Amino acid sequence: MFRFLAIRFGRAALTIVLVVTFAFIVLRLSGDPAVAIMSPEAPPEALAAFRRAWGLDQPIWVQYFRYFGAIAQGELGQSMRDGRPAIVLVLERIPATLMLTIPAFILKVGLGVPAGIQAALHRNSFTDRAVMTLAVAGFTVPSFVLGLILVLVFAVQLGWLPSGGQDSWRSAILPVITMGLGGAGVLARFTRSAMLEVLGQPFIRTASAKGVPWPQVVRGHALPNAAIPTVTIIGFMVGSLIAGAVVVESVFSWPGVGRLLVVAVGNRDLAVVQCILLLVACTMVAANLTVDLLYGVLDPRMRARKS
Amino acid sequence: MMPLLRLAGVSRVYRTGGGMFGRGSLVRAVDRVSLEVAPGQTLGIVGESGCGKSTTGRLALGLEAPDEGSVRFRDAPLPAPGSAPWRAMRRDMQLVFQDPLGALDRRLTIAAQIAEPLDIHGIGAKSERQDRVAALLRDVGLRPDQAARHPHELSGGQRQRAVLARALATDPALLVCDEPISALDVSIQAQVVNMLADIQAARGVALVFISHDLKVVRQVSHDVAVMYLGRVVERGDPDIVFATPVHPYTQALISAVPVPGQRQRPRIVLQGEPPNPANRPTGCAFHPRCPQAMPRCAAEDPAVTTLPDGRAVACHLAETPSRIAA
Amino acid sequence: MSSVVATAAPVIRRRAIPPAVLVAMGWIGLILAIALLAEMLRPYGITQMDLKARLRPPVLFGGVWAHPLGTDELGRDVLSRLMVSIRMSVTIAFGATIIAAVLGTTLGFIAAHFRGWVEQIVLMLIDFQASMPFLIIALAVLAFFGNSLPLFIGLMGLYGWERYARMARGLAVSANAQGYAAAVRQLGARPGRIYLRHILPNIAATLIVAATLSFPEVVLLESGLSFLGLGVQPPMTSLGNMVGYGREYLTRAPWILLTPSFVIVTTTLSVSLVGDWLRDRLDPTLG
Repeated sequence: MFRFLAIRFGRAALTIVLVVTFAFIVLRLSGDPAVAIMSPEAPPEALAAFRRAWGLDQPIWVQYFRYFGAIAQGELGQSMRDGRPAIVLVLERIPATLMLTIPAFILKVGLGVPAGIQAALHRNSFTDRAVMTLAVAGFTVPSFVLGLILVLVFAVQLGWLPSGGQDSWRSAILPVITMGLGGAGVLARFTRSAMLEVLGQPFIRTASAKGVPWPQVVRGHALPNAAIPTVTIIGFMVGSLIAGAVVVESVFSWPGVGRLLVVAVGNRDLAVVQCILLLVACTMVAANLTVDLLYGVLDPRMRARKS
Repeated sequence: MMPLLRLAGVSRVYRTGGGMFGRGSLVRAVDRVSLEVAPGQTLGIVGESGCGKSTTGRLALGLEAPDEGSVRFRDAPLPAPGSAPWRAMRRDMQLVFQDPLGALDRRLTIAAQIAEPLDIHGIGAKSERQDRVAALLRDVGLRPDQAARHPHELSGGQRQRAVLARALATDPALLVCDEPISALDVSIQAQVVNMLADIQAARGVALVFISHDLKVVRQVSHDVAVMYLGRVVERGDPDIVFATPVHPYTQALISAVPVPGQRQRPRIVLQGEPPNPANRPTGCAFHPRCPQAMPRCAAEDPAVTTLPDGRAVACHLAETPSRIAA
Repeated sequence: MSSVVATAAPVIRRRAIPPAVLVAMGWIGLILAIALLAEMLRPYGITQMDLKARLRPPVLFGGVWAHPLGTDELGRDVLSRLMVSIRMSVTIAFGATIIAAVLGTTLGFIAAHFRGWVEQIVLMLIDFQASMPFLIIALAVLAFFGNSLPLFIGLMGLYGWERYARMARGLAVSANAQGYAAAVRQLGARPGRIYLRHILPNIAATLIVAATLSFPEVVLLESGLSFLGLGVQPPMTSLGNMVGYGREYLTRAPWILLTPSFVIVTTTLSVSLVGDWLRDRLDPTLG
């Protein structure tokens, strides 16, 4: 168990190191980082001070380690647009994003997982076909198309809900539905195939052959085993709570992190982009780590397994 | 005569278990094995599965480098596996696999696969290669129309013939046959064995014949080595070894071979499971299963003794000839 | 107990192509034909404006046959723009899928061939790629490097490489360990011959199925980025880009946005259907 944990934590740290390295390399390749992080119009003294502060006059590997140091202290540069620290800018957008992504996540799991289980239990039935058709539609219809169609119907035609902005809780309904439906489709499809795989295993047949009532077989044997792969994908969804709303926030002009990212990319506001990149990496890593630890709880075999 | 191939005290150690940080345990799959193969002769290697006979074959071919000892082919050491000189050397030494279907590319025709070693080593002009392939097919007893077939369209015996034709394409001096007939039907085994003998007679190729089938090994070999847990326990002329086995393990193996018409032969039934190579018994590795074990066997590793009839035996019994039970 | 019987019953594989898949194949054929012939088929230039005929609806909604799918805010013909957009989106998705497949397969083979620390590095990159949302990485690269069409295709070509790499590595490792690849190596073949002449043809079916399943995802990614204004830049046009610009006329001229949306959805749906069917037929082991 200790080794299991050590390997997982090692991997998590490695991913963060890779992201930082990626940001470092990309930053170096894209031009003078002083100009990029500060702004082209910054006074030369300020640029020189920045170079000294970040050690840009040092050899590249010294810079690399300093870069780590700066990031560890939360020094992520200033936004080009208003000169405020990028990290502050990003952090203040997080609540708005979570307002969309958390209800959407609940919708995804609440719809997707039961639909997938039902479809698998009644394979090739009408329910199965209907769920699978909706699920395929859920991920082949891009979120911006679904979002715009919902706006067209519920905001423009019917006038029930606002088409964008963040004025009241009603503004959140359409974006949440847009995200929730797509994700539910992916999750339903995935849960169904995980469940079908488990149902095909010999131990399920053994359990029902020796007379365990079917609902009990499903609850006691099939669900816990199907939960393991499903938890992985749910973990990925948790990890993208911050990053997952890029397109939808843009469709609905919702002032969250995703909208900030799109605007920052458009303006090449590198400090903000870098900050969001690291933030997303940290959430993904934290989510993956949690999933790995959950594995240990869900699957006793994992605890014994070596790597 | 100078041997074509000489293995001198070769060992191969594998690390099993253990992940990134774990220690794992060391397994000596082959332990200080010394063997020789004379040009145009056949060396048979017999033993239970897991006794290291396949690994010995791979070491002999240089597919793996030994951890100890040396392998010399035509009195020169084998180059490192995968290097350019190693690749060039494949012309002279070839392997015939246990599973012919697995050894053939299911997407290419038999003719294309037999021609492949010719392409690889640039043997003959392109126009000649077709004729060579046709000749090889004839040599191994395949019909010309079977050249255009894919592996799955042939029977097991025909596939093994195709594998053999491919191995013979470069006219090698040494052929290692690793359980070449054990995946075949009994009726076809004899045909393939006879064909091997014919090919050896015609081409003068040396064979290392690895098998657990004692009768076949006796039939084809000029020299036989019995392996147990990574070591050669008895080695010599097959007629002598199989008629009057000295090592108790050889005796047990031979007593297990059914002989027609002899129903009530006494059989030596070995006690216990074949031991785990990762957990090798002390002293003579065979002592926990040996019907003639003495206290000394558990403590002392028997040295190799050469008997007057020329065979080499690693057993304490052989050290005092009067006590040989046979 | 009836449900036990139902789940335990063997799946009967039908030989005939299901009608939905046939329709999907027909649609893909049409889209490919349009992509190839867009420059010949389009009735107007994509930047050709007709200011007298702005925001004309499609012909079935009171428009004129001169512009069967209507016109946009500058009087440009929607049908012509749609055809050229299909060409652009299909080109990007094809290019990106091929780049990802080649890159991933190569890295997978390299990992399988060298093993050891080379393999560990490739596996680490695979883990990294799989654990980061691709959209974020793509946005970061676009922010740092700006946008140009070759860079954009190259960037899309990074999408999904890790899946090919995983498969290629796994299949090559098992082929090297025993079987035909080991046999050919033993004949003295160079690695290039082993991987290109033997292993690649043997795993091609699996890779093609994977590419078919990844293609619609690339279309969605491209159209998403173009929709955000960060992908294909005007005056060039792509399906996502059309939706993005059509958004401002959502209330007055929804056809500008709905026609490319319809093409995106039907195309990704068709390719997914065909991909699923191919997977079931060729390689049921794929997840």
